[in-house]
Amino acid sequence: MLAYNIRIAVKSLRRNPVLTAIIIGGIALGICASTTFTTVRHMFARDPLPGKSDRLFYVRMDNWDPHAPYPTGDGGGKPIPPQLSFRDATALMRGSNLPLHQSMAFQSALTVYPDPKMARPYSETVRVCTSDFFPMFDVPFQWGGGWGRHADTTPEQVIVIDDATNQKLFGGANSVGKRVRLDDREFTVIGVLKPWRPFIRYFDVFGNFVAPPDAMYVPMSLTRPMLLRTTGNSDGWKTIPLPPGAPPTPQQLFDAFIESDIDFVQFWVELRSPRDREAYQRFVDGYVMEEKKHGRFERPLHNELTPMMDLMREFGVVRPEITAMAAISVLFLGICALNLTGLLLSKFLARAPEVSVRRALGATRGHVFLQHIVECELVGLAGGTIGMLLAVGAMRFIGKLITTTSVIGLDAEMIFAAVFLSLGAGFLAGLYPTWRICSVQPAVQLKI
Amino acid sequence: MEFGPIIRALRRNQIRFVLIVLQIAITLAVVTNAITMIHTEGKKMDRKSGFDDDNLLWVRTRPFSPAFKEQAYRLNVVGGDLRAIAGMPGVVSVANTNFLPWQGGGSSGEVAVSGGDGSKFRTQEYTTTPAILSTLGIKLVAGRELRESDINDNAGATDPSTVVISRSLEKLLFKGESAVGRQLLDGGGIDNVVGVFDPFYNPYGWPIHEYCVFYAGHVSRRGALYLVRTQPGAMKNVVSLIDKRMLQVNDGRSVDLQTISDIRDRYFAGSRIVRGGMTAVIILIILVTGLGIVGVTSFSVTERRKQIGTRRALGATKSAVVRYFLLENWIVTSAGLILGLAAAYALNVLLVTKTSGAKLEWPFLAGAVALLWAQGIAATLVPALRATRVSPVVATRGV
Repeated sequence: MLAYNIRIAVKSLRRNPVLTAIIIGGIALGICASTTFTTVRHMFARDPLPGKSDRLFYVRMDNWDPHAPYPTGDGGGKPIPPQLSFRDATALMRGSNLPLHQSMAFQSALTVYPDPKMARPYSETVRVCTSDFFPMFDVPFQWGGGWGRHADTTPEQVIVIDDATNQKLFGGANSVGKRVRLDDREFTVIGVLKPWRPFIRYFDVFGNFVAPPDAMYVPMSLTRPMLLRTTGNSDGWKTIPLPPGAPPTPQQLFDAFIESDIDFVQFWVELRSPRDREAYQRFVDGYVMEEKKHGRFERPLHNELTPMMDLMREFGVVRPEITAMAAISVLFLGICALNLTGLLLSKFLARAPEVSVRRALGATRGHVFLQHIVECELVGLAGGTIGMLLAVGAMRFIGKLITTTSVIGLDAEMIFAAVFLSLGAGFLAGLYPTWRICSVQPAVQLKI
Repeated sequence: MEFGPIIRALRRNQIRFVLIVLQIAITLAVVTNAITMIHTEGKKMDRKSGFDDDNLLWVRTRPFSPAFKEQAYRLNVVGGDLRAIAGMPGVVSVANTNFLPWQGGGSSGEVAVSGGDGSKFRTQEYTTTPAILSTLGIKLVAGRELRESDINDNAGATDPSTVVISRSLEKLLFKGESAVGRQLLDGGGIDNVVGVFDPFYNPYGWPIHEYCVFYAGHVSRRGALYLVRTQPGAMKNVVSLIDKRMLQVNDGRSVDLQTISDIRDRYFAGSRIVRGGMTAVIILIILVTGLGIVGVTSFSVTERRKQIGTRRALGATKSAVVRYFLLENWIVTSAGLILGLAAAYALNVLLVTKTSGAKLEWPFLAGAVALLWAQGIAATLVPALRATRVSPVVATRGV
């Protein structure tokens, strides 16, 4: 029965190829535009760690200038420094065992000296972080793993590298246990990541959040011994004065930087429950009250624990223009559906005499309904398929504009949505014309 | 005019025309709001830096040779680089600086006027060798440019430095008085202002896009950075040769290049997506709605072959038949546009409140209405002309 209906639907579509092309083309364009722009929005807006992100909290403390609040940007933003100073983050990390995981991190750069047979020395971005960074952000390992908590207090020259670096340095083999020189020290590889390219760099949404994750990871405890400086953003309003006279030595510059109220460390905690969140907020507030006694934190008490998705919203990961585009593209699909209704209505009504003959020969309204709705769905599916293929091309292009190292693609969720949308559009658009053709009075049409 | 018969005919095919009316209404709403978005993004992209962006190249060196730990060695290499780059054919000017236009940020600090009321102002701050103004292609408007002799590579934290500042910063700090010869206080020491330049615009996270202090100095500590200005059209040639020249000066380092036009393109990637996407949506929507009108009018022509034949037999001219269909479409389109004006405003209010979009402007609305009228006429004309080919003989055939 269905096969028969599909056959006559195809016949009907082939009878007027130009009209069929217009109908299918209209649906295809609607599906292409709406899928493309909603997917682009979805790439930015989706939860990067589903089921976990609401337990991850970003910690901020207002250690800014007592005379003026932290300056806010053009697009608003909160008057609180976005990062912590090294000393405060370290103190928080040591001061509480409430969080399941806690991650301190900043970005730096080190010079890599590969085997001279493989490559010339080169400079590479490094994330300087604590051991919990890997389990907290579900970083996928190919071989080995991160370092233990002991390396957070005692410096160890160990390193985790990403897949691309492993290809470059070791030809892609399991390199756990191998050695590599960074700056003037020898490091032991203890973990190799799988190829890993989240669209949003969710653990660091400041600056270029569509950048790829870092190539290498070293323990935070090496910051002081190696005089590591951040290559990311740093904000400060007060620096410890340098000794006057002779030009300061690198060690003096480093000490002033690291002990000052200069904020460059990103600090995340994973808390088990809302009760723990309240308790942790009390802990942070308590720390600041204690520091106030020593003349620091002169501004009013203001500390924030922000869940991951809220932080992404606050830092404008989803640009409002992208949301507006998605909304407009869905309206565009609406226009395509209206257009389809108009065309199908004209097409079906022109066929009234033919349908009347079928009805007179014994076809029920149900038969006629099925025949026409099958035709509508066929059109919807054909348009949807072409539209999705067009969307894949369009997204490749848009992806290139956003970042050169990642491709925006359809995921299962979006494909499902597109199939549903095209079937839904076909059905909704076809419903009225089909109902009209079903209610045709055979007697009126057959009278000659 | 055949208003009466047209309205009566429209009533008989209510739903079909209601669909077209709705379609045109939504089309108008989408087109006007899409044009507004394109215009808003365009305004952002039209903001000029004031620099010779298209002929600027950024060069970053990252040393790996341990010899770079010595300041004297580094400065010697910077001197060699500056001479080598300046001597290349096609290069206009080069500066050793940590300023990079269009990266969406940079470095900033707070300064106060020496002898002023002590209030501090945030401004962008960069270190540079003297050739910065000619490299960016901006003008000195007062005082003098920085000189080699202004640079003190062995300055302590509290030693004075020599600076030039942007005219907008001069206005902010000195309220109309000249900054030349005055002094600024930054965190460490005193800055002697010797010159003022204009224009300067570099978008920053904070509203300090036009405020800038250039300190005389070298940038070498963590790898020397350069801005290079080429003659128009010479960029390709310079890009292909510059890293070899620099590795001849010293090969204990890596060299990467980026043109400022690429960096600016990346800065505006979001705006380009919105502009491109919305332009595509406008074109497609007009196409789809146009094809829809062609389709529906074609059917109504086919359906009314007999009536058209009868009218022709009774003496109606071909132009009267065309006029009938054009008028019918004009009525439908206009109804759609009236409804569309309301829809456009409703959508705009939604976009303004929910996504901080820009308000609709009258000229765009008028333009979109004119566009859709023209589209309606164009789309009706094809089937209407086909209707004129219906022969009066049709009236005599069948019933």
